Amino acid sequence: MSKTMKMGMLGLILVIPSFLLLFVIVVIPIALSFVESLRNDAGGFDLSRYQFLFTDKAMRSNILFTLKVTIVSCVIVLIVSYALAVYMRFSSGRLVELIRKTYMIPIFIPGVIATYGLINLLGNHGWLSRFLLLIGITLPRIIFDQKGIIIANLWFNIPFTAMLLSSALAGIPNSVLESAKDVGAGRLRVFFQIVFPLSYKTFLVAATFVFMGVIGSFTAPFLVGPNAPQMLGVSMEQVFGVFQEREQAAAIAFFTFLLCSVLGYFYIRSMVKEETARL
Amino acid sequence: MFHLKKGLTVLSALALTFTVLAGCGNKADNANASSSDASAPASSSSNPASSAPVEISFYFTGSQNVKDMWDTLVPKFEEQNKDVKVKLVYIPSGTGAQPTYDRILAAKKAGKGSGDIDLYEDSLSTVTKGGKDDLWDKLSLDSIPNIGNINSKTMDNVSHLAVPYRASAVVLAYNSEKVTTPPSTLDELYEWIRNNPEKFAYNDPSTGGSGNSFVSTSIYKDLPQDAIYSTDPAIQKDWDSGFATLKDLGKYVYGKGIYPKKNQGTLDLLANGEVDMIPAWSDMVLEQTAKGQLPATTKMKQITPGFNGGPTYLMVPKLSEKKEAVYQFLGYVMSPEAQGIIVEKMHGFPGIELANMPQEIQDSFKGVSEGFRSFNIGDLDKEITKRWQSEVAAQ
Repeated sequence: MSKTMKMGMLGLILVIPSFLLLFVIVVIPIALSFVESLRNDAGGFDLSRYQFLFTDKAMRSNILFTLKVTIVSCVIVLIVSYALAVYMRFSSGRLVELIRKTYMIPIFIPGVIATYGLINLLGNHGWLSRFLLLIGITLPRIIFDQKGIIIANLWFNIPFTAMLLSSALAGIPNSVLESAKDVGAGRLRVFFQIVFPLSYKTFLVAATFVFMGVIGSFTAPFLVGPNAPQMLGVSMEQVFGVFQEREQAAAIAFFTFLLCSVLGYFYIRSMVKEETARL
Repeated sequence: MFHLKKGLTVLSALALTFTVLAGCGNKADNANASSSDASAPASSSSNPASSAPVEISFYFTGSQNVKDMWDTLVPKFEEQNKDVKVKLVYIPSGTGAQPTYDRILAAKKAGKGSGDIDLYEDSLSTVTKGGKDDLWDKLSLDSIPNIGNINSKTMDNVSHLAVPYRASAVVLAYNSEKVTTPPSTLDELYEWIRNNPEKFAYNDPSTGGSGNSFVSTSIYKDLPQDAIYSTDPAIQKDWDSGFATLKDLGKYVYGKGIYPKKNQGTLDLLANGEVDMIPAWSDMVLEQTAKGQLPATTKMKQITPGFNGGPTYLMVPKLSEKKEAVYQFLGYVMSPEAQGIIVEKMHGFPGIELANMPQEIQDSFKGVSEGFRSFNIGDLDKEITKRWQSEVAAQ
């Protein structure tokens, strides 16, 4: 056996365990739910479950609502996290130290507890509204509204995203930045031509994580979201658990998977581009 | 040499991977082993010589208070009956009651006995459904003498296929400081809701029984009295006026159409004063008033015709192999002593006749433990929540 062949075999053997794991816990369930979602009431196979997704008024508004909440959450999370990461990377002082030490705390608070905390804080008779009432401001409705879901998403996603981004920013050598400054680059120019391009890949990874986390979220939308329209996760649970229409729930699940795979496609494409560039 | 070293690394990496994978496999094996362990005493129970206690698996569902109650009751029972052990399997409400029933049914169809479920707790609709599928064991006075404590009419209603061990009902809970004359009929309630906008809330009917009861009571308001016992889908066309009322009420309920999730969702709103009146489970109101989570000014009232209510039943799968032990446990549950604990822990109405209970317990349930109706509409309930979601919530 030639050496390259041996190495090739070795590579295959090393890949097999993770491939099997992926196959059993990801590929097979997706395939099964896709088949399930094609089953119609009469027992035959067609696309009626998907047709329902786009023709039923309530379902359509659920999908639009989910996309809206997800995109708004993603944009705000990424902006805030990136700003936080940049601030932590390029500033120093006691405030930065304090932020560095505390920004991870939300990760360690269980989701349900955090959500109830938000309800108590932001609810109609919550603490915030009581304080604001003293200075004569009435708080708009946040809980049982999309604003509540978005705020909860910020709480859940900012710490992890900021962590990802700050590790990317930490990888940018000071020497590069200093030499750029030495040849006369302004702050904005350093940021847009050096800092952002060098952390762009991680930015994309973070965007993917936030998008997938938000689009499939359940706890917060269930507890603080409106009754209608619902996020797809909540609707899926209702269709599966209460209405007990497994096929319809499978169709919603598969549709959510398709939405995620759109983002996954861009992510993988940029990875592949990078790999080919390296070769 | 270099190759050897590399080969060794690869080998050890592989070995590690397989150990981990094998570990997973072992775990599954263990699980299998323990489930066969559980069935092992079944065969030994027929053998009187064996001294090992018989373990029965008891599947139940409900809110946290139900779990707390069984966690108190079972050790007391095991103390008095050394020969029986009760394995509690708690299924949080809304997650898996239906699959448990399906499991019993599937086990029967597959000829696998009762699927290792020896006792099951659920509502009237499951008793009826299981009666049709011939799943439940007939319980008689001979095997469980304490059944005599139960109202015999209640036992006849379920053809002796189940014992009602506790009951509760949906009532109107209100803040008596704000509401001096609570409504006593559904029409008066509607009028109150319209006159006091955003001061009434009911929870999403797919997430809890109290909101569900308000919705079904409204839908069946103008229908014949017996309609609430019918599982005939043909009745669905008569729901229109009820749904129209609910749709119209949307403008007047809390937040102009916000229906909190879960039974607790509306209780929270009542507790912090955002609303003054809600439909709620009597046991939850009693318990939370006692603990101070709800203000002491909280009062309850049943309307006429009443909201949904009724007993929760315990059923013994016909094919269970440990019936003797289960009867022993049921006998304990239906004793006045255990019923007292249930009342104290859950603030539910006792499953046995009130006359068998101490006077103070009898007094505490005056006016609330009667007047409710037991809806038994089977799968139509699913249709109601579905239609409610698309017509009332998403209007």
